[in-house]
Amino acid sequence: MSLTNTTTDWRAGIERRLTRTREFLDETDPEALTVVTVSMGSLLAAFLGFLLASPWAAVPFGAFLTATGYGWARHQALIARAVTLAMTTVTLVTLGLIVVFIFAESIPAFRYETASAFGISVPGLGMFAQPRWDAVSEPVRYSLLPMIHGTVMVTTIATLVAAPLGVAAALFIAEIAPPTVRELVKPGIEVLAGIPSIVYGFIGFTVINPWASGAFDLNGGSTYLFVGIVVGLMALPTVVSVAEDALTSVPDVMKHGSLALGATDWQSMTSITLPAAFSGVSAAVLLGVGRAIGETMAATVMLAGIPRISEPLVNVFYGYETLTSLIARGYGSANGVHESALFAAGVVLFVTVLCLSIGSQYIEARMRRRLGGAE
Amino acid sequence: MSRATRTALVRDDRTAYEAAAGAAVGISGIVFVVGLATLLGVVGIDDPVAGLELSVLFGVVLLALGVTVVGFGMASRLGYVDAAPQPSAGIVAAAAFTGIWFAVGAAVSGAAGIGTAGRLAVGAVLGGSAFAVTAFPREDVGSTVPVGAVAGLCGLSLVVGVIGPGWEQALVGYNATLFGDTVVPVVVLFTSLVTGWSAAKAYGGFGARGRNVGAYVLIYLVVGSILTVLVGLVAFVTVRGLPGLFGGFSVGGASLVSWPFLTNGAGLTADVAGVFPALLGTVWLVIGAVLFAVPTGVGAAVFLSEYAEQGRFTGAVEVATNGLWSTPSIVFGLFGAAFLIPRFGNQKSLIAGMLTLGFMLLPLVLITSREAILAVPDEYRDASAALGVSKWKTIRSVVLPAAIPGIATGVILGVGRIAGETAPILLTMGGGVLPGKSAAPDVLGGFQLSGSPPFVSNPALLEATSALPYQLYALITAGLSGNIENPQEFAWGLALTLLLVVLVFYAVGIATRYYFRRKLHQ
Repeated sequence: MSLTNTTTDWRAGIERRLTRTREFLDETDPEALTVVTVSMGSLLAAFLGFLLASPWAAVPFGAFLTATGYGWARHQALIARAVTLAMTTVTLVTLGLIVVFIFAESIPAFRYETASAFGISVPGLGMFAQPRWDAVSEPVRYSLLPMIHGTVMVTTIATLVAAPLGVAAALFIAEIAPPTVRELVKPGIEVLAGIPSIVYGFIGFTVINPWASGAFDLNGGSTYLFVGIVVGLMALPTVVSVAEDALTSVPDVMKHGSLALGATDWQSMTSITLPAAFSGVSAAVLLGVGRAIGETMAATVMLAGIPRISEPLVNVFYGYETLTSLIARGYGSANGVHESALFAAGVVLFVTVLCLSIGSQYIEARMRRRLGGAE
Repeated sequence: MSRATRTALVRDDRTAYEAAAGAAVGISGIVFVVGLATLLGVVGIDDPVAGLELSVLFGVVLLALGVTVVGFGMASRLGYVDAAPQPSAGIVAAAAFTGIWFAVGAAVSGAAGIGTAGRLAVGAVLGGSAFAVTAFPREDVGSTVPVGAVAGLCGLSLVVGVIGPGWEQALVGYNATLFGDTVVPVVVLFTSLVTGWSAAKAYGGFGARGRNVGAYVLIYLVVGSILTVLVGLVAFVTVRGLPGLFGGFSVGGASLVSWPFLTNGAGLTADVAGVFPALLGTVWLVIGAVLFAVPTGVGAAVFLSEYAEQGRFTGAVEVATNGLWSTPSIVFGLFGAAFLIPRFGNQKSLIAGMLTLGFMLLPLVLITSREAILAVPDEYRDASAALGVSKWKTIRSVVLPAAIPGIATGVILGVGRIAGETAPILLTMGGGVLPGKSAAPDVLGGFQLSGSPPFVSNPALLEATSALPYQLYALITAGLSGNIENPQEFAWGLALTLLLVVLVFYAVGIATRYYFRRKLHQ
């Protein structure tokens, strides 16, 4: 019953859309239609040509520019609509291209690291089932486990730094600070987001690493501990700004109601604002975790660059390698399966962070629904 | 008679108590700051202060703070002062003190040479009793006695010298040794935090108000430290970078201003090595990324907010945009290397870097432009439509002009972010470690027409080019050495230049936002 219903709905939807398209075609000036078709067709041809790496892609691109220019002069409204639509698809196309190209480049490494489990050979299993990464001496193996361990260590420490500090700072900006102080603190934290990661890395390399080496009598100065703290500092602004958005989106009536009942500010925050904004705040922490996972330069510059798992597992006084620093350090000198293995590391990173991003978007959407569409 | 009215109205007898509690908060704050100074090495823990070693003095003060805090709790418990404590200090405080005392127990018994099982047992016993002391008695006891115990233990061990200058403890199997120089400040910082929180609660008379004060003290401290770190970072880079940045700088003479660090290359002929090629590379990089991303992003934002109906397509674009926003920069670099480099002459090139950064800038521009366009009130659109203006004309002459400030702010902040990116251009653009002035890209003069496809070419765009962040990375990997006079000074000058370029973008972006917001509210 419901199945037939959905089918009819679906069919009706298509019919409605067809009718609308037909009406649109009938109403529009045929010349304008031609121009738009030529413009969009040549853009598509140029894109396909570029994909095939053909130097002839320049020809349809020129045709696109000409047709669009002509259309802009004669039929601006229609051509503007078509061009903006094309621009909108660019984000989708970019994401698609990233997926296709990174996955395609990583296939040889996944093939190379095929291992069998329960009698079935699974490509890529060898990257996660044994801990050896060595691209030079036999046996050449490309396990990502050491780098995943490093990324987990750095991200954990970074989250321990960024999450409590970030949420506290967001509470301060959204709830506690008087307006003049807020106008000072908010841009200040934005500026913190702007300090380039290589500058953090440079300070880490020239100041923190030598200091840590002496202060803890280490073998070399690279430690997951201080890389994690630095990366946490870099993820902090993301947490602050997203959590602050979530906190300010809680309707004022809720807070005022609580204050009118005689609750202190802190009671209102912990029993009204924070629970109401909880999903938004956790989305902020998730995004911060994503930033920390993807942070590259500070880790590359501060870590030792040896793909090895520290012993004992939780030893924060070693600093070997993370997924990001592996790519940044190895790319360029690598080729063949080695280069492909770097792409595999990129795939792991990309998929993890994309999942975090989609998860946090889902949480945020749920929160917006629960607060009744309040922005 | 209810307690609430009694505490709310009778406050006179609490002034001395409040003053003492306020003083305790203040002393904890001072101890925190001095502790930070010792951690950063500004003062040594064995420096003599008032006839005592600093670490011993720390111990005395912490001990006194611990005793005072317990005194506050007792004064309230025995009814000498009016406070409004709740029946229990609460589960959060109880959990925190359980954790703290578990760690203390495990650490101390570990130092005494007890095995893992023993350490866990000692930790569990201490943690459990801390939980009982915190959670079960009334709040004024529960939030002071465990604090007093922490401060007392730490203070005593500092006074007696169990931990102090010259103390060291090798972490067996961890390849690290703890020294008094780092452990003492950390212990002092932590203990002063705890006593400060407890004294602040006492200042507020425990209960809801006390918790309010306690939490505020901690939050102010957090925000204060974040801002201190920010200011400290910028100041540090500035102080270290100024000599390099202004080496050979002079005003007057043949050319009005001579600034060799910014106008020279790093070749042998230059008397002062400079960063001109990298600076110009960054400028072109930003221009290229903006030319690609801004029209695309703004166009997409217009389509999404003005033309498209909310549906599956817009939902997918939104997910894709946010996904791109959070994609790690190194993944963009890999993408650029796999997709763009084979299509632009098979080598690292300026245009590959431009487009890679353009892809990164696109979601930033799209998100902020969309917000700016959605923020334009619907009345504008309705008024324009009521005058018989077509949809596109409304967008072009009403919506976009009203949204320009928001779009501009977003673009400027986004540019600030990508101008400092290193990972993507490391994989796509490359360039030399210390390029000479001739390596600076000449994009405008490089365009050539040719008879074979693609008919227009520009060798400057197809060459590996340096940029500020990449050059800094390359210098670091080269071990801060090179064929120049003072590589260290050069690198710090380079870092300061990069920081200034980025911060100028941020300052302009934030200033634009404030300017237009004030104009809007006038």
